[in-house]
Amino acid sequence: MDTPLIVLIVLTSVAVTSPLYGIIFGKKSLKYVQYLTTLSLLISLVLLISSTLSLTPQESTVPHLLRNDSLGSFFSLMVILVTLFVTITSFDYMKDNSNENIYYSLLLFTAIGMTMLSFAVDLLVIFVAWELMSLPTFILAGYNKRDKLSNEAAVKFFILGALSSGILLYGISLMFGITGSTNLDIISQSLPTVSADMLPFIIFSTISMLAGLGLKLSIVPFHMWIPDAYEGSPTTISALLSAATKKAGFAAAIRIFAVIFPIFSFDLALALSIVALVTMTVGNLAALTQKSITRMLAYSSIAQAGYLLIGLVVLPYSDLGLLGLLYHSFNHAILQASAFLAAALVRLKTSSSSLDSYNGLSKVMPITSFCLALSLLGLAGIPPLNGFWSKLVLFAAAVDGGYTWLALAGLVNSAISVAYYLLVIKRMYMDETSLKSIKEPFLFISILVFASVVIIVTGLLPNILYNISEDITLSFLSNNPV
Amino acid sequence: MLYLLSVPLLWLNLRIGDLLEPLINYFIVSLALLCVGVYGLIAKRNAIRLLFAVEIIINAAIINFVAFARYYDTPLITGQTFSLFAIALAATEAAVGLAIIVQAFRLNNDIDVLELKRLRG
Repeated sequence: MDTPLIVLIVLTSVAVTSPLYGIIFGKKSLKYVQYLTTLSLLISLVLLISSTLSLTPQESTVPHLLRNDSLGSFFSLMVILVTLFVTITSFDYMKDNSNENIYYSLLLFTAIGMTMLSFAVDLLVIFVAWELMSLPTFILAGYNKRDKLSNEAAVKFFILGALSSGILLYGISLMFGITGSTNLDIISQSLPTVSADMLPFIIFSTISMLAGLGLKLSIVPFHMWIPDAYEGSPTTISALLSAATKKAGFAAAIRIFAVIFPIFSFDLALALSIVALVTMTVGNLAALTQKSITRMLAYSSIAQAGYLLIGLVVLPYSDLGLLGLLYHSFNHAILQASAFLAAALVRLKTSSSSLDSYNGLSKVMPITSFCLALSLLGLAGIPPLNGFWSKLVLFAAAVDGGYTWLALAGLVNSAISVAYYLLVIKRMYMDETSLKSIKEPFLFISILVFASVVIIVTGLLPNILYNISEDITLSFLSNNPV
Repeated sequence: MLYLLSVPLLWLNLRIGDLLEPLINYFIVSLALLCVGVYGLIAKRNAIRLLFAVEIIINAAIINFVAFARYYDTPLITGQTFSLFAIALAATEAAVGLAIIVQAFRLNNDIDVLELKRLRG
């Protein structure tokens, strides 16, 4: 069954028609648009779960553009799940906003772009999907258009996002010039045969593509816009940016780097390892001093991108690298989405995202505080939760691939990160509050509780996701030897 | 900007007489455009100028695509196709970006990106 195409058609049909319903039927169509959006995402989720579990690459109608393999299914499963969370929580968060139909339509368009990006094996499709993923998020970041902060976030996000696609396009054009094709399979065949004079061009192209991808993957030196964009945009959208678009970017990065790595593996791996080290250190150190929870989570998201990069660094040396990358991507998507959505609920109810408004929160919003505390502990990597296992696999991969110092740096960074995560938990559970009891909306809470259940279950039974990631890794590496 | 840069470069190259490798001319032009774009992003403060700078980078890539596609013995349609896609996507990007910038002007009466500093950590 050609899952990617079916998912794309299901999502597109709703995404294209839902603004029309608003024009034809007016305000009362909103409920139906919300249901339709949720339903289409649920259908896609079911299809993707079934295709993730069947591991052999299946037939695809357009095999040169979209490869229907389990790696793509796994990543699009992740992004669709996060989009579903964001959609359902937006029912409350975006209530009484103007043009709500278009909000859901744009969410779906982002989901379409991310799904396409996870399956794409042609640089043309990767670029189109990249734009399809980015353009709606620019608008969503500035969705509260009368809000100066939201608009400022959108301007900053737009300029760097546009730069990212421009630089990515330049890298792709050079790669096309070197190999004469944009298909990743043909590129991987013809790259080893190009003459040695071309090496500077290959390096230039790789750096351009890394910079273009890196602006979305939030790796240092391309991370400047992340805290501003995450703080200013609606917090549900920050959840989408941090948990979903970044993961889709990693899917594209895996496919591109699996092709480029065999050419000059050592230099590239060393360069990437330094980038990973700097990324996690900068993210964690900057997060320590933040006064607002969204900024803190943004810097923590940068630090987590550093951990994920370890998986890319050891891609050619150890199977554990890709395994850890997949495993940690899933866990990080759930944890980060849950943390940002809890922050969104607090911002909705107290209209503030500063850390001071979290003082004594557990007394007025007990369920939200519990879910937030759980996801923060998971991000810190406290043992029984899922974040611990995937970090363990990543650090083991670093040791296995000969980058012991990177694993040590990761451990030190994890230790630093516990400080700022625990500080929020301390504020919520130990401090006093002046707030009166707050009613927590049912749908919002059920999403947070569902995410918490996933965090606890995948933490207590780590072998489920580990085995799935292992199977996906082996089937990906047998088709794309690195 | 394209003319300003490409004319002297092409002229220089004709003087040298290196007509056997015309591909490098196109590459030099596109590299120069990339540098202009990056310079614009670093040095300019007006949001619309930054948008221009990004568009210049995209155009540099498009020149690469078309030139490389012509270079191969069996003409490749991929390069032209890709450049058409890139032009269309650059146009949508400009539309979205201008909408955001117009809204920024309405809110702040200014589109100087360095004046946007409410979000600080």
